[in-house]
Amino acid sequence: MFDALTLSELEAVRLSLKVACASVVASLPFGFALAWLLARRQFPGKSLLDAAVHLPLVLPPVVIGYLLLVLFGRRGPAGQWLDETFGVVFAFRWTGAALACALMGLPLLVRAIRQSLEAIDRRMESAAATLGAGRLWVLASVTIPLSLPGIVTGMLLSFARSLGEFGATITFVSNIPGETQTLPLAIYTYTQVPGGDPQAMRLCLFSVLLSLAALLASEFIVRRAHLRVFGDAH
Amino acid sequence: MRIEIDVERKLESFQLKAAFSCDAAVTALFGRSGCGKSTLLNLIAGLLRPERGRIAIGDRVLFDSASGTDLLPEKRRVGYVFQEGLLLPHLSVRQNLLYGRFFTPPQERWADFDRIVALLDLAPLLERRPRHLSGGEKQRVALGRALLASPRLLLMDEPLASLDAGRRGEILYYIERLRDEVRVPIVYVSHEIEEVVRLAGHMVLLSDGRVAASGEVHDLMGRIELRDLIGRHEGGAVIEAKVAAQDLDSGLARLAFTGGELLVADVDALVGESLRIRVRARDVSIALERPRDISILNCFAGRIAEIGTEPGSSVDVRIDIAGTPILARITRHSAARLHLAAGQEVWALVKAVSFDRQSVGYA
Amino acid sequence: MRFRLVFLLLALAISGAARSQSLVVFAAASLKNALDDVAAMSPSKPAISYAASSALAKQIESGAPAQVFISADLDWMDYLDRKKLIREGTRRNLLGNKLVLIAPADSAVKADIGPGFPLAKLLGGGRLATADPASVPAGKYTKSALEKLGAWDPVSGRLAPADNVRAALLLVARGEAPLGTVYATDAAIETKVRVVAVFPDGLHPPIVYPAALTASAPPSGAAADFLSLLSSPAARKRFEKYGFTPLN
Repeated sequence: MFDALTLSELEAVRLSLKVACASVVASLPFGFALAWLLARRQFPGKSLLDAAVHLPLVLPPVVIGYLLLVLFGRRGPAGQWLDETFGVVFAFRWTGAALACALMGLPLLVRAIRQSLEAIDRRMESAAATLGAGRLWVLASVTIPLSLPGIVTGMLLSFARSLGEFGATITFVSNIPGETQTLPLAIYTYTQVPGGDPQAMRLCLFSVLLSLAALLASEFIVRRAHLRVFGDAH
Repeated sequence: MRIEIDVERKLESFQLKAAFSCDAAVTALFGRSGCGKSTLLNLIAGLLRPERGRIAIGDRVLFDSASGTDLLPEKRRVGYVFQEGLLLPHLSVRQNLLYGRFFTPPQERWADFDRIVALLDLAPLLERRPRHLSGGEKQRVALGRALLASPRLLLMDEPLASLDAGRRGEILYYIERLRDEVRVPIVYVSHEIEEVVRLAGHMVLLSDGRVAASGEVHDLMGRIELRDLIGRHEGGAVIEAKVAAQDLDSGLARLAFTGGELLVADVDALVGESLRIRVRARDVSIALERPRDISILNCFAGRIAEIGTEPGSSVDVRIDIAGTPILARITRHSAARLHLAAGQEVWALVKAVSFDRQSVGYA
Repeated sequence: MRFRLVFLLLALAISGAARSQSLVVFAAASLKNALDDVAAMSPSKPAISYAASSALAKQIESGAPAQVFISADLDWMDYLDRKKLIREGTRRNLLGNKLVLIAPADSAVKADIGPGFPLAKLLGGGRLATADPASVPAGKYTKSALEKLGAWDPVSGRLAPADNVRAALLLVARGEAPLGTVYATDAAIETKVRVVAVFPDGLHPPIVYPAALTASAPPSGAAADFLSLLSSPAARKRFEKYGFTPLN
């Protein structure tokens, strides 16, 4: 009995890590593209886009979950198209949990990347162009390396946010053990069952340790990235 | 290689409308701050687009509004040395140097890594990061980097401006070496006349976005009407001379030119070397008779060719000395007192010590 | 001068908050529409928090300032009773309900609920939307009924366990899940679902909604009045209109 419980707890931890990693990796190209647009381009509706990107920070997560259901559910316009074109399904699958996390973490990702992009001296990119580098090469060899600390920070913030995501996930893909029952959902479930407090407490400890590890790792990684890029520690 | 520029573009406070063409090793764009020099460079490099016009280097047309040609900066093969160097901080010096080379098609690579590193004394810096370089070192790397992209034209935007006086001379030396040993035409932007005199063969004088004058350096320097644009304190004739003799005892050199011999102190050149000397107008005095028992060593007989007419307390006088013009700046009061007039025969006097390192350029 | 204005506004706000320390009611999610309607009849304007009975009970256990609790099953009321969190003598069984199997309104699925009920086959590749069977009353009734029918094992891994019964209703209404289990009263208010079949009474413990004052509520006052209101003829009529069965 004890073993079985621990097994399902580990399942929740494993699922949380899988979902968080997937959500960060999947949202990175979009996050970078949005940050680049907002940092570098002027266009009509720019402030609207900026506000839209920040919506997941201010809207209740349940609202985000509901919107995901409407758009990416089985009958949602985006959900149907993705299913027909790529065979990607979000409903009741861990991919849906990852999508919810990706959306909730997006504002943090975009903000961090945007800040580091704005800090780059744009004439560096002009200099690279005069040396023969085309636009994509400039992006790959100058812009991205120089904004790397910001990119890493954004990824880690988004990862941490994903570890704690609850409202959007449970509304969009419900609480399926092994599939969508990430750590926060598992803890919640244990608190709702009479006598489930010890398990809930144990998972809470897991959660705290995991978050601490993520934060400490982030400090280390960001500093390393800065050193690599700029040749000094700050 | 012939450079042809004819561009128009609206700037914040005025309209840039510049057209000139030249064929020199170094062409200087000279003018006050804000007259459009850097903008012109950016237009040539393709970092800004002209509203209309044509830019051609040799037989290659970089921009032509008539035919719709507009090459991207990365396709123009125009190197650019910026005022602040702009070295990529995440790469080592070696990687910075080789950056442009990576994008150069192999058949167009004429720049040799070892040669350029030797030319600019970059060997000890190769594995360092830009952050740990001094200002002068950064500029040398910037020069090397631009060269190693095998450009057809090299643009330099006030490359000495952010350096202190000591460093400036050092980098100027390297640019001279570059000019003499590497066959890339250079367009050099500056607002310091001594850099222009030292380096350039052709000069384009810009003022408020317009080309005020374009021609050989010594020619423009001898024109009185341009004195305000060139700078009231620094104007003066430029003389091409050759070192005829060096006297080690007195430290004086005898520089031969078409009008005679100029005696100059502390010239760092060997006999036979060609030099370019700027004779600042304010260092030249005029006498009606050849003075005797005077400390001034350089006295030349000549004829007044022109007297300037701008208002003010001083006036420029152009004296023709057997074919070489020299400018003298004296007070209007003196000019009146001596009854100076065009065609008059006078003596031009220049102190040997009035030449300094900045006045002497090595051709 | 500025400071005084800010102080004044703050004081007004605080006093306003203090005054609106009105009645707080915790009620099962399935009561939402009906109870709002009934509460409109009350002189005190109660603040009603709707959620799964499990969640509400846990919150009351943690000290939530609710004064009236209406659960969707007896278990959770018993739970609080055992912990002495219910005022003695105020507990009464208020309403009854039925459990139904629903499908999206445009689905043509037909089924009869009886032994050998082929639920797994009917689900096809989809999942059964239901409130969490581990804790939420609607889910517990469902599990109990399906176990009795022998249909639980094949579908226990094919569930979409929702936070509360209304969330399960939403999943079916949006066509996310081909089938779901909710109360008859929930199905009645949602036009985007249709009832496929009703679960016969004997398959699960009787669905009873008990109501009571919490231990922190005063024996007489707004809370007690509200509780009485719930049992009044007028209120019973309203509940009936929504499909609930008023109990004595």
